[in-house]
Amino acid sequence: MLLVAAFAAAPCTAVIGFWRPSRVSAVAIITTAIAFAAALWGWAADAPRLDSAWAPTWGIRITFQLDGLGVLYSLLATGIGLAVVIYSAGYMPLHLHHEDRPPKDAVRFFSFLLLFMGAMVGLVTARDSMLIFLFWDITAIASFFLIGYDNQKPESHVAAMTAMLVTGGSAICLLIGVSILQHQYGTYSLDALIAAAEPSRELTIAMVLVAVAGLAKSAQVPFHFWLPRAMAAPTPVSAYLHSAAMVAAGVFLISRFSPLIALSEETLNLLLVIGFVSIGVGGVLALTRDVLKQLLAYSTISQYGYVVVMLGLGGEKGAAGASFYVVAHALSKSALFLTAGAVTEATGQKALSGLGGLLRRMPALALGSGAAAAGLAALPLTAGFFKDELFFAAAHERGRIVSILAVSAAALTVGYMCRFWFGVFAGPMRSAPKTVTPLLVGPVVVLGVIMIAGGIWPEPISRLAGIAAEATINQPVHVHVAYYFDTRAENVMAIVSIAAGLTLALTVSLWRPIATFAARLGTRIGPQVWYDRTLFALNRLSDSAHRIEVRDLRSRVSTILLPAGILVGAGTLAERNFDELRVGSFDLADLPLTMMVVIAAVAAVTATLTVNHLSMALVLSGVGYSLAVAYSLFGAPDVALVAVLIETLFTLLFFGMLTLMPDEVDHGYIQQPDSTPGPARQSNRRNRDRIIAVIAGGFAFIVTWGVLSRPTAFESVTNDQIALTPAAHGKDIVTVILADFRGLDTMGEITVVAIAFLGISTLLRRWRTS
Amino acid sequence: MTTEVTRVVTRLLLPPTAMVAFAILVKGYVDTGDGFSAGVVLSLGILLQFLAFGSTVADRLPIVRLAPRLAVIGLGIALAVTFVPVLLGDDVMTHRPGPDEKVIHIGSVEVLTAFAFDIGVFLVVLGFAVGVIDLVAHSIDRRTGAGQ
Repeated sequence: MLLVAAFAAAPCTAVIGFWRPSRVSAVAIITTAIAFAAALWGWAADAPRLDSAWAPTWGIRITFQLDGLGVLYSLLATGIGLAVVIYSAGYMPLHLHHEDRPPKDAVRFFSFLLLFMGAMVGLVTARDSMLIFLFWDITAIASFFLIGYDNQKPESHVAAMTAMLVTGGSAICLLIGVSILQHQYGTYSLDALIAAAEPSRELTIAMVLVAVAGLAKSAQVPFHFWLPRAMAAPTPVSAYLHSAAMVAAGVFLISRFSPLIALSEETLNLLLVIGFVSIGVGGVLALTRDVLKQLLAYSTISQYGYVVVMLGLGGEKGAAGASFYVVAHALSKSALFLTAGAVTEATGQKALSGLGGLLRRMPALALGSGAAAAGLAALPLTAGFFKDELFFAAAHERGRIVSILAVSAAALTVGYMCRFWFGVFAGPMRSAPKTVTPLLVGPVVVLGVIMIAGGIWPEPISRLAGIAAEATINQPVHVHVAYYFDTRAENVMAIVSIAAGLTLALTVSLWRPIATFAARLGTRIGPQVWYDRTLFALNRLSDSAHRIEVRDLRSRVSTILLPAGILVGAGTLAERNFDELRVGSFDLADLPLTMMVVIAAVAAVTATLTVNHLSMALVLSGVGYSLAVAYSLFGAPDVALVAVLIETLFTLLFFGMLTLMPDEVDHGYIQQPDSTPGPARQSNRRNRDRIIAVIAGGFAFIVTWGVLSRPTAFESVTNDQIALTPAAHGKDIVTVILADFRGLDTMGEITVVAIAFLGISTLLRRWRTS
Repeated sequence: MTTEVTRVVTRLLLPPTAMVAFAILVKGYVDTGDGFSAGVVLSLGILLQFLAFGSTVADRLPIVRLAPRLAVIGLGIALAVTFVPVLLGDDVMTHRPGPDEKVIHIGSVEVLTAFAFDIGVFLVVLGFAVGVIDLVAHSIDRRTGAGQ
């Protein structure tokens, strides 16, 4: 039910959108609302397990189940999705107007957004690791189009490509990890894997690979640089992908595999380290950013660092904390992104330095986003407070160092959240806002209200987090959150972190130079630099390979022949079956056959010596005819008939083609018009061609010789086919093989013939008209 | 460039060529030859017409005008034979009647789905070859500036 609703949303929207572009936002809202309702219903009712075979020979099944983790993330994907879609209904027309694009471009936006939502729901409910990989890749593809939505801007291209390469490239790690598990335990099913897995080196490798995929998607250090770049996307995309969906998918993956990850101490420690580094890097950089969305992007990196830390801490508290954290963060961060979009829409300003004092003019937005920011900063009376309580509890359990790190991390959050909210809404007004549609403010207010409601009555969220945590660590979990007015460690840590955060916010001038220096150091030697360099080098390599290949027809042919020859040759040399290459006995009865083959060989050699195209065509057809005679001597009239016919047809067509050649090509060696090489260069090139031809041809000769010297393996199949021919109601074996035994091959071949026809006719027709 | 004799002979040769092609096709399952060779034989017959009469005259033959459509129809038939069994719950390309089932004979022709597939192959090959001949012939006409 949920799956159907979620999967159907995107195609519905796309179809109706193309039909009636003006209705697209309404349709998107309705379909998303249905999906959200279905997710809620799935939470309340016990959703059945969906299980059917997909690729039985490989043991891949289509298995979906809506467990606690699935409920939590699909509620996020559809719920935040709903808020974002409603917001987009107000935002997209304005955005498209700014960018001078037709309103019907919004169809593409909504379609991909909902495709993303559908893939996300599929991802979180899938119980087969191959299926998880599939949906994982769909989210990467959808995000590529969403981030690159403003395709007239060059920075969008760069951003989309970076996100695609980082998250899509790391998806390969997921695939490898899953394949290692399959190899080890013989199944792709997650449930079976969890039941079977034991600590081992292979498991650790697989889990590190899976974790790398998750960390890259969650924009953790050192893969974090794609996220700030991705801020080139329209604001609703940032709000959705970078709060509730894409980055959440990363930590989801780690949660999903956490029963397996828990078996590998190294992976847990890796998560812990990367989490804390990400908190630090993201937090410090967030303190230095001026552009609103950049600040929020770095804050996201830092916030997901928390979640990764908690998953690394593991256990009941870690799992519960991570789930609670994801919910609270998604609520507040999407609200903050939407606020940034609304503010920019109202004032035209994108950076903190151009904003301020909007509290009076936009009170609803200020209060809504204030609640969200307070939630993120974990102030009491918001749902966010409990996320930090759980975080502190999990850290406290682990020891002093982790606790201190946790408190400083929370302090950083308070610091940059103060900076964001006070920077936008307090102080002197720097630019006057226009009025904006309620569609832009409404979702923010709703999200803020939920944040406050969650702070006063945390029961629903903690229950949700509880079932999600149960699914995460695969054992019962009791999550209980409430306000305690005593001096337990969590409370002390919370008070300290809030106080430290406020101090941080008030003493901007003291640490600003240090943070800026750190940020500059990061851009100088950070992973982004390495990414850019690698990309640049790869691009140059590919360009130079391309240039060699397309220089002329000869180099194009040689780029195929030479690697093929070398690879085949390497294979032959590696196999060392040289005794295959023996010369059989010669019988006088074989004389006619031998003569034909000799004629064919002579003709073939002659073809390499002739210069004139016409004689080359004639000599080649001579090869064909003598081979046809050889076939008939072998007692294969079917093949001989076809060979003669084809040879005739193609020789005649060849002649026809030759009359179409430009005259200068027809005489002598083909000159390259672009290079016009000197005689020395030309003979050089000819020598090179000869060497390539000898290598490719020589190895092809050796392989063919070897294969023909051991005919036994093929005879058995042929005998079967001869025996079965009467059963197929036939007498002519060749025809029966073509139409029945190997019918599928024939099908493929005639499809190729039809496609070739299409190509030839397009080519000749275009040439004729030009 | 062609004499009267060549033209008459060429024109007279077309019906027998078609007949031979047809025979190769229907006897495919019993004797040498199949849809593929039948298609090539008939295309060679058509090619002869092009050589003798030039493309303008040869274009009047219905088979030349319909060539692309024949290829598409042939591909459709072959696809149908391949994938309709899947809809009926069989494997891809299950031929009817199956082994040990009774086959209806019309003379030496056996009524089989495999035979229908062979007809599909025949049509694709014929459509391809004739279509390409036609395209090349027209290109040559354009280049030499003559429609004959």
